[in-house]
Amino acid sequence: MRLMLIIAIPFFGALLPMLLARAGRRACAIATGLSTLMALVLLLSHAPVISAGQAFAVSHQWVPQVGMDLALRLDGLGLLMAGLILGIGLLIVIYAYHYLGKDESLGAFFTYLLLFQGSMVGIALADNLLSLLVFWEGTSLASFLLIGFWRHLTEGRQGARMALIVTGGGGLALIAGMLLLGDIAGTMTISELTARREAIQQSSRYPLALLLIAVGCFTKSAQFPFHFWLPQAMAAPTPVSAYLHSATMVKAGVFLLARLWPVLSGTEWWFYTIASMGAVTFLLGSVVALFKDDLKALLAYSTISHLGLMTMLLGLGTEAGLIATLLHLLNHAAFKGALFLTVGIIDHETGSRDLRNLGGLWRILPITGAIALLGLAANAGLPPLGGFLSKEMMLEAVSQVSWWGQPHLLTAIAAIAGTFAVAYSARFFAGAFLGEPGADLETAHGPSWGLVGPAALLVVSALAFGVFAQPLAEPILQTAVRGAMGNGDAPTIHLKLWHGVNLPLILSGVAILGGGILAGTFDGWRSLLKRRLAIEGQRVFRACEWQLVSVSRHVTERFHGGSLANYLTWFLVGVLALGGLSVWPSGLRSGDRQLLPINVLALLLITCLAAACLMTILLHRRRLLSVLMANVVGLITSIGFIYFSAPDLALTQISVEVVTLILILLALYFLPKETVAEASPIQRWRDAALAGLCGAAMFALTWVVLSSDGPTDLANYLIEQSKPAGGGSNVVNVILVDFRGFDTFNEIMVLAISALIIYALLDGAMHGAAADKLDHWEHDIPRSPEKHPAMFISFTRALLPLALLVGVYMFLRGHNQPGGGFVAGLVVTIALIVQYMVSGYQWAAERISIDYHSWIGWGILLAAGTGVASMILGYPFLTNAHEHFDLPYLGSLDISSALVFDLGVLMTVVGAVMLALANLSRLGRRAERAAQKAAEAAKLLDRGE
Amino acid sequence: MTPWVEFVVAALIVIGTVFALVGSIGLVKLPDVMTRLHSPTKATTLGVGALLVASIISFYHWKGKLAINELLITLFLFLTAPVAAQFLARAYLHLHCDSAGDLPATNRPCQWSTFQCACPPDAEDGSAAKP
Repeated sequence: MRLMLIIAIPFFGALLPMLLARAGRRACAIATGLSTLMALVLLLSHAPVISAGQAFAVSHQWVPQVGMDLALRLDGLGLLMAGLILGIGLLIVIYAYHYLGKDESLGAFFTYLLLFQGSMVGIALADNLLSLLVFWEGTSLASFLLIGFWRHLTEGRQGARMALIVTGGGGLALIAGMLLLGDIAGTMTISELTARREAIQQSSRYPLALLLIAVGCFTKSAQFPFHFWLPQAMAAPTPVSAYLHSATMVKAGVFLLARLWPVLSGTEWWFYTIASMGAVTFLLGSVVALFKDDLKALLAYSTISHLGLMTMLLGLGTEAGLIATLLHLLNHAAFKGALFLTVGIIDHETGSRDLRNLGGLWRILPITGAIALLGLAANAGLPPLGGFLSKEMMLEAVSQVSWWGQPHLLTAIAAIAGTFAVAYSARFFAGAFLGEPGADLETAHGPSWGLVGPAALLVVSALAFGVFAQPLAEPILQTAVRGAMGNGDAPTIHLKLWHGVNLPLILSGVAILGGGILAGTFDGWRSLLKRRLAIEGQRVFRACEWQLVSVSRHVTERFHGGSLANYLTWFLVGVLALGGLSVWPSGLRSGDRQLLPINVLALLLITCLAAACLMTILLHRRRLLSVLMANVVGLITSIGFIYFSAPDLALTQISVEVVTLILILLALYFLPKETVAEASPIQRWRDAALAGLCGAAMFALTWVVLSSDGPTDLANYLIEQSKPAGGGSNVVNVILVDFRGFDTFNEIMVLAISALIIYALLDGAMHGAAADKLDHWEHDIPRSPEKHPAMFISFTRALLPLALLVGVYMFLRGHNQPGGGFVAGLVVTIALIVQYMVSGYQWAAERISIDYHSWIGWGILLAAGTGVASMILGYPFLTNAHEHFDLPYLGSLDISSALVFDLGVLMTVVGAVMLALANLSRLGRRAERAAQKAAEAAKLLDRGE
Repeated sequence: MTPWVEFVVAALIVIGTVFALVGSIGLVKLPDVMTRLHSPTKATTLGVGALLVASIISFYHWKGKLAINELLITLFLFLTAPVAAQFLARAYLHLHCDSAGDLPATNRPCQWSTFQCACPPDAEDGSAAKP
């Protein structure tokens, strides 16, 4: 149970910052920090048991049909990872509180951070392959939100998009790989995979699964060739970079490889795929890092290089490699996080991150300088820091492995990469802190403790892991390795700073020397290599993206091109073709039912309907008349519904007609009322032929359906069970809210979403080109001088309470008689709309103080709440109960819990339609103001002359 | 149903439909918009009212329930038909503002409030523009 809490706390905590944003920044930060702290404490409370070798597991069924369970397992490896996530997360919360400015929305930031944290802890603790995938995608999404936090910056948006596309694409590959792996193994539980190791590695699909999983991990951990998104993601605020892109998210790929290490490793495929890519990335990252002037880009490539180091070590397939990876995981999180935080401090205090313009910061930021010195020393692998230990281990592990028959190739690559690591670390320190003050130092001032504290803590732990390796780092490492090996018998580890003069020490010495020389002479030979262009993965990505976009734009313009007529033509042609193809072999056979004699009334009705449809088409260029004709068609349809004894449908049709007409007329206000003839005669004949074909096809289909005996069991069941099971005698309403309640729930969600889209689109019409057109819009129809006609106002006011009463009446009686939530909602909407029409938007809006957004939200929540309430009581979602009451004066009442659901429907309908109306009228008011200004300007001009 | 009730209901239906028919014929045949306005608002309202009374009587006799709420329909019709007619009349007048010249002058700054065609610029409602 406590394991579930560890994951649940960040997710539930994510609700708090947005809610507390009004209470102030400090409340937000405290809430976030407390959530992280609680989760961390819960996690660490398991530590004693786990370090003794046990593991905790808990499992709930989620989607049993595909084998997905919410299975969590806390062992040493998960403890290490989750500890890193939550511990560093806590420091980042403190740092971010001091880093982000007063006008940045801290609530949103902390919400995204906590969502990310929850997903990341989910990856660390997941025991089921499929639930791990859910958390994996959760981290991609949350990191997209976090990277694009400064969405006013182009780099921020582009970086976020690139990160999402690359990691999302890798996620797709990972899904395929995991499914394959689960299929080969026969189980989706990770802890059971180790037992089936032999079977998995013998399978013919093993290489494919391995490659797909490797692609997923490489995209997440920015390995070559998928590394290019990480430098672009540096457009994020520094706390985000420190947390995601050095300490946790990019480690997810490495973590997953470590998790699957006992299952998949040991084969040649594993070695050559993973170790090769890791080695290449290791070398590439450190070489490119030397050439970067932006401090964050330098650190980004350095991170890529260190991740390559860890991947390479995992790829070796040896125990030594695994141990070295886990040690480096710990150390790298500490010193790289500290380094990113110091870059943030430098950026915060001086406003610049460019090495060419910085220098001499030692005087202004001495503490930061000390932190940076220690962090860079750990990065370069200098003793006695933790980074030195892990580098030694790495060199030791690598020197025992031969690659493609060359025993020293990997060692050489590691040594060269280590040299460059020393070089860029030295360059960083010298360029930023030593030397003459650079150009950007005019506005420099000392940082607050909230910024320096977390960085100092991290770098002190990096130092402690090195100096006090045995008491501090060794137990953590031991637990982690025991958990990662999967079967409890792991070798005991001894961490020592001094192993004697052996190959790793010599190589480290050479690296330090060589790196120092490189850094010292850097400016000299850099200009020689100025024109060397590497193939930047980022450019390839952009080129591919551009190609895809232009191809899809081409296709869209061919078939759509912004013309509804074009689009509809293709659509109808497609439907006709597909329908014809499916019917062609056997043809359509008419059914056996007897034809009834024609009723004169029905014939009259159909003739009117056909005439009205024809008029709609013939008058289509005179838009006002055409819209009215369309309404006539709707009204005749309602008469048809009444003819077939469907009063509910007729009521709904009439009210929808009224509302749609009002909204269309509001929109038509701004559009030309008459259009010119656009189509040539050929096009018109073509369109007529297509329409005729479609009509004939619909006729044939309808004839076949109506003349055959369809299944009547369902209809009979619904009619019979309506009163006993549904609690109402109005079958239509009972179907809507009870039998098919879930469909209705989806429908109101669709309605809410479309209302919000209308809101967003109309909001966009207040900016940009559309706003320009509005400002220059002129009236094209005569306007009444009396804006608010007195007679209309008085009648409408008198009608308002009556109309609302009718709405309530229809709502309450809906379950047993024609009515229901939807019709009632429409009636209430019409009553309110008319008030707006009559007295003007502003007057009415001041008096009708309903927030339509919240009505939409509450409506959906009520509907969902009804469903969830039945789930809490143990019944399936959206089960309704009904009860019979005998009240003293009101008589007998049949009340069903579907009434609350219906209320939700009503609120959503009212909110959605009124939201659309409110925003349409905003356009009108803006155009009005512009027209008034233009008129006044014209008058002034007249008077001036 | 007793023959007497049948006779009354039938008479009411006939009266109602006759008036509705008269209203519809008037809508087609009358020459001018202003004269055409009278038919749907007056005649058809009366026709619908008679049909509703017939419905009340017949359902009372048939089912025993006195559905007074059907009279509400007539009430709403009485409320809304005049307003609709006024709008139609105004719209017509505003489209044909040039006939304002024939009207006698009033001694107010705005001559005839419906038109406000000749309204001086500093009237209380600044949006006076020639339609």
